[in-house]
Amino acid sequence: MSYRMLNQWVGPIIFIALSVVPLLLGIGYALLYSLGLTGIINNGFTLAHWHTLLQDASFWETIGFSLVVALSTMVISIALALGLVLREPTRFQRPIPSFLMYMPLAIPAIVMAFFIFQMFAKGGWLSRIAFQLKIIPELQSFPDLINDNLGIGIIVSHILMAVPFLVLFFTNIYQNEDIDAYRKLAFTMGTSRKMSLWYVQLPMLLRPAQPTLFLYFLFVMGSYEIPLLLGSQSKQMIAVLTIQKMQRYNLADIPQAYAISVAYTVVVILLLYIMVWVSQKNRSYDP
Amino acid sequence: MYLKVNDIEKAYDGHPILQPLSFGVPKGKVLSVLGRSGSGKTTLLKIIAGLETPDAGTIYLEDQEITNWSPQKRGIVYLYQEPLLFPHLSVQENIGFGLTVRKVAPNIKNDLVNEMMDHLGLIEHRSKMPDHLSGGQKQRVAFGRALIISPKVMLLDEPFAALDNQTRMQMQVMFKRMATRHNITALFVTHDIKEAIIMGEELACIRDGHWQLYHSIKSFLQDHLTGVQDEINFWKKLDP
Repeated sequence: MSYRMLNQWVGPIIFIALSVVPLLLGIGYALLYSLGLTGIINNGFTLAHWHTLLQDASFWETIGFSLVVALSTMVISIALALGLVLREPTRFQRPIPSFLMYMPLAIPAIVMAFFIFQMFAKGGWLSRIAFQLKIIPELQSFPDLINDNLGIGIIVSHILMAVPFLVLFFTNIYQNEDIDAYRKLAFTMGTSRKMSLWYVQLPMLLRPAQPTLFLYFLFVMGSYEIPLLLGSQSKQMIAVLTIQKMQRYNLADIPQAYAISVAYTVVVILLLYIMVWVSQKNRSYDP
Repeated sequence: MYLKVNDIEKAYDGHPILQPLSFGVPKGKVLSVLGRSGSGKTTLLKIIAGLETPDAGTIYLEDQEITNWSPQKRGIVYLYQEPLLFPHLSVQENIGFGLTVRKVAPNIKNDLVNEMMDHLGLIEHRSKMPDHLSGGQKQRVAFGRALIISPKVMLLDEPFAALDNQTRMQMQVMFKRMATRHNITALFVTHDIKEAIIMGEELACIRDGHWQLYHSIKSFLQDHLTGVQDEINFWKKLDP
């Protein structure tokens, strides 16, 4: 093998060895475990664990809840970030606003979760302020914003982390794509500010952002620390349910945990396929 | 005069970019404006387009003062050096953009877009996205997109500067043909002497914010400040 060929293949081989192989091995092991072909209590091939899981309403509820939390987080965060960026696109290039946006990115998810807990719990700051202002008769009257079935605490935490990231991300796209020049060009062609927003600025911002937004969606959907601290016991997000099943004393639950991991991977691949299909379809876009 | 610019002035941070300058462009004529980088050409075009406000002076179009009008109301299209095709739209969608935002009926829009693509030789590229076009094709789409809305004035800011020589010459021929066909009134800014002579029925030079209008090619050629004589001397020296 010539040096040139070796040089050409070294990169892909290292990537596959460090990234693809461990992932495939992990998924393969999880699949074998879920089918009873490996693990502490395996008794040979069985679909029983999958059967139990797929007939379990709480599993589907968990998948649905995770999707809803991720979708709500993304829709609200994208709307807020776009609002902030489009109002004054150059604002977040200045030192102080830029620092204020970078700062929350350095805060770990668990710290943000604690902060939200302190803020929104029934005994938290907002509740106490509302009580002192006589808005609520007692602390317990404060609405359930933490460990609630709607996942409000989880969504708020994720939004607080996502908005600064998205603001910086959209600001970068706005500058790199020189969207302001396109906006002005559209003005000279008779486009109003509102039309320019819908026909020029938003498509130009969102189109290149699609893959990153999708990855962030997956990140929120698979998040662990925030839903662990702020989620409810009856409606869990997928990572929390998986870890709980994995760490229970009942060893029979472990294959189910692996089955959830495999099912979640299938859901992610399905979503990825939909995203690629949608982005291909959107390549030809008529306003 | 169809387009009249009276005593326009502009300064940034106290540094004058445009000294009081006045000129007019008759309807259906192309005025070539020659000037070096930083001479104030782009600022002048942006002021006429309504994208910048002048510190002083007035602009008239069809005998109406438009100095304080928004860019949307002026009917003046500004073409940048880069074609700035909307990356999310195909060739035909880019050309039809101005009609789409004007809510022109789809069947009328399709007819007009097809006609324009036919004139510009773009029919076979109709479904392509901008990143699949050559530099010359992109500029043709940009022209089509501007022309289809029948602008009162076109402002062209070195539109062929990024093209290779051959494509540039093809584009010059195409623009002349379209300008005659559509009776275009335009300001054509360039730093290329030859291009300025080819494209404009009238010639002007902008130097450090000062304006010099030439009423004939002869007077333009004779003014040593235009750089024409230096160019002629350069080529003469190469003559064997």
